[in-house]
Amino acid sequence: MREKGLPQRLRQKILKWALTSWPYSNLRRYLYAFLLVALVTLLGVPIHFFIHPTNLVMLYLAIVVVAAVFLGRGPSIAVSLLGVLAFDFFFVNPRLTLSVDDTQYLLTFLGLLVVGLIISSLAARVKDQVEEGRRREAQTAALYSFSRDLATAGSFQAVLNTIVAHFTQVFKQEAAILLPGSGTKMELRAASPGMLFQPRELEAAERAFLNPATAERNPMEPGNGEIFHMPLITTRGPMGVLSFRRHTQAGEMEPAQHSQLEAYANLAGLALERALLEEQANQAEVHQATERLQTALLNSISHDLRTPLATITGVLDSMLEVESGANEEVFLEKPARLELIESARGEAQRLNRLVGDLLDMTRLESGALRLNLEETDVQDLIGTSIGCLGDTLTDHPIQAHAPNDLPMVRLDFILMEQVLINLLDNAAKYSPPSMPIEVTARLNDAQVEVAVADRGIGIPPADLQRVFDKFFRIQRADGARGTGLGLAICKGIVEAHGGTIRAENRAGGGVCLTLSIPVGGSQPLIEADAYEK
Amino acid sequence: MKNDLCVIVVDDEYPIRRMLRTALDAHGYTVVEAASGAEALLAAAEHHADILLLDLGLPDMDGVEVTRQLRQWSQTPIIVLSVREREEDKISALDAGADDYVTKPFSIGELLARMRVSLRHSSRGERESPLFESGGLVVDRVNHLVSTDSGEVSLTPTEYDLLSELVHHSGKVLTHRHLLRCVWGEAYELETHLLRVNISNLRKKIEADPMQPRYITTEPGVGYRLKG
Repeated sequence: MREKGLPQRLRQKILKWALTSWPYSNLRRYLYAFLLVALVTLLGVPIHFFIHPTNLVMLYLAIVVVAAVFLGRGPSIAVSLLGVLAFDFFFVNPRLTLSVDDTQYLLTFLGLLVVGLIISSLAARVKDQVEEGRRREAQTAALYSFSRDLATAGSFQAVLNTIVAHFTQVFKQEAAILLPGSGTKMELRAASPGMLFQPRELEAAERAFLNPATAERNPMEPGNGEIFHMPLITTRGPMGVLSFRRHTQAGEMEPAQHSQLEAYANLAGLALERALLEEQANQAEVHQATERLQTALLNSISHDLRTPLATITGVLDSMLEVESGANEEVFLEKPARLELIESARGEAQRLNRLVGDLLDMTRLESGALRLNLEETDVQDLIGTSIGCLGDTLTDHPIQAHAPNDLPMVRLDFILMEQVLINLLDNAAKYSPPSMPIEVTARLNDAQVEVAVADRGIGIPPADLQRVFDKFFRIQRADGARGTGLGLAICKGIVEAHGGTIRAENRAGGGVCLTLSIPVGGSQPLIEADAYEK
Repeated sequence: MKNDLCVIVVDDEYPIRRMLRTALDAHGYTVVEAASGAEALLAAAEHHADILLLDLGLPDMDGVEVTRQLRQWSQTPIIVLSVREREEDKISALDAGADDYVTKPFSIGELLARMRVSLRHSSRGERESPLFESGGLVVDRVNHLVSTDSGEVSLTPTEYDLLSELVHHSGKVLTHRHLLRCVWGEAYELETHLLRVNISNLRKKIEADPMQPRYITTEPGVGYRLKG
């Protein structure tokens, strides 16, 4: 039993060696070559009774060409040799021997052999060239696809990722891109999965970056590991380093692959440069747009500040002229003088409001708003706000409703007072005299809602959201203007409280502005007796 | 025509001093100017001033500090001038002993009114009438009776104490802290929600429309004031 086993294992070993140490496809090709010769020889056997043997030479030449095209140089030479031998053995008298009766056949043999060898060589070369051509075409296609993907990659990071992905795909190696971070230290910016760096490899990358000329000449200098660093060169010098891991079993890189690698590195470098420039251009554009907007805003604010001042200055100049009596012809009746002074006073108040609005807006924008939250009586808030407006509301009867059991709300009194004042001011401004303004407060779930409603001109439905934008103003026929900031400030303050504000047109005309604030975990209105001392 | 009253105006800005001097002079006050905290204290020591107008934004000393130092030896009424956003300054000044405040830009009428209230309180001294009357609200501090146009009002002891303190300083602003300390005690200094609840209840009892109060007004961020 044991004796049987050993030869079997030995047989398997030999078979394995035979099949792997000599490439299988090679064996197969030579086998086919032999088969071709055998085939033609077999074919010739019946034919040669009718045709002169010399014509069979054509058939052998034919299979030499076939072998050269389909099997390669080696097998086609084998076919030439085997063909001559077979021809001699089977078809030349004396048959079934290698000797010849007629020495002219020696010429035939020579001719067959020489032509066979030439054809093999040429056909093999053509085949090589075709293959080379196909390989180049594949390379070019890959390069084109790479270039196209680079062109369509949006951001800088997208370009980096595209480079690494293509590289890994084409060269079947893990790759990474390092770009200089602060100073000359190299930072990993994109890598195929599994690409890990040791510190000394980073140093090698840095060296390659700083000495691109040296690195270009010898990109295959390993950096104390199996990672190779290729500098990415652009028109402005080296931009970064493309690092890739080569598996040493792959052996030395062929020059064709080397030049392909260079082509990729160049494309990558150019694409990175383009992406970087594009990003810079975008930033410059945004910067410019911001500046333009800021200039427009400043102009608008400057106008808004200076217009009331113009009125005030004008009035004071007139008064000065009148009072100083320098110009006797200038004379103003008392009612006219009073009117002028009143208008100046009104403009001064308007200026004060504008300054306040601007300061509020600045505080909101810069995040410098600190909420001083306290449990607040909403009735108190509404009452105080109404009280603050005083004269503005003389033409508008106010109807204020709030349930007595409304809980206290955690809010910043002064800021929310500002909000209500703005809303009431708007209501007064945009509704005709003698029309009532309604202020209602109610509890809705865990939120307290305060609504300010007027019977004014309303807001175009398309603008119901936009009214809360900065500097948005509704066009009015009589040209009465505000700062355009009032509602934006309201929104900012309400949202800082975690609340919401919305505008709705009312059935029957007018607008209702509702703000909603979370009660904020406040205690319900407690019986005062509980706090008797 | 002159009244007998002397005002010290403290502000580092000349235009404000000029404006105030003109307005106060027109109302019969004698005006002394000071441009800094140090000057203010000096002026207060030299002149027998009836009232001080003190700007909080002084270059050399904090207005609150001036108040504190002044209060160490003088009970002269002080009205502070401040800008809208500086609530903490106003509160500190009031707690340090200032009597009232106005916010820039202020109306001269309002300033004069507050000056009058503070002067009234200071000249009254201990001569205080036990009966307070103002626009329908009547508070009898002897019998602890409160009534309005609608009749007698029944208040809890706390509510009464609160109202009483407001009446005692009628016309002047009282900070949250002051009211809490007076009515509840020092330990309750920070319990503003207590105060708000009681003010709310008080308003509901004595005001015709609690949402548009005639008597007890809120000074946002600072305290309360009983109009009178």
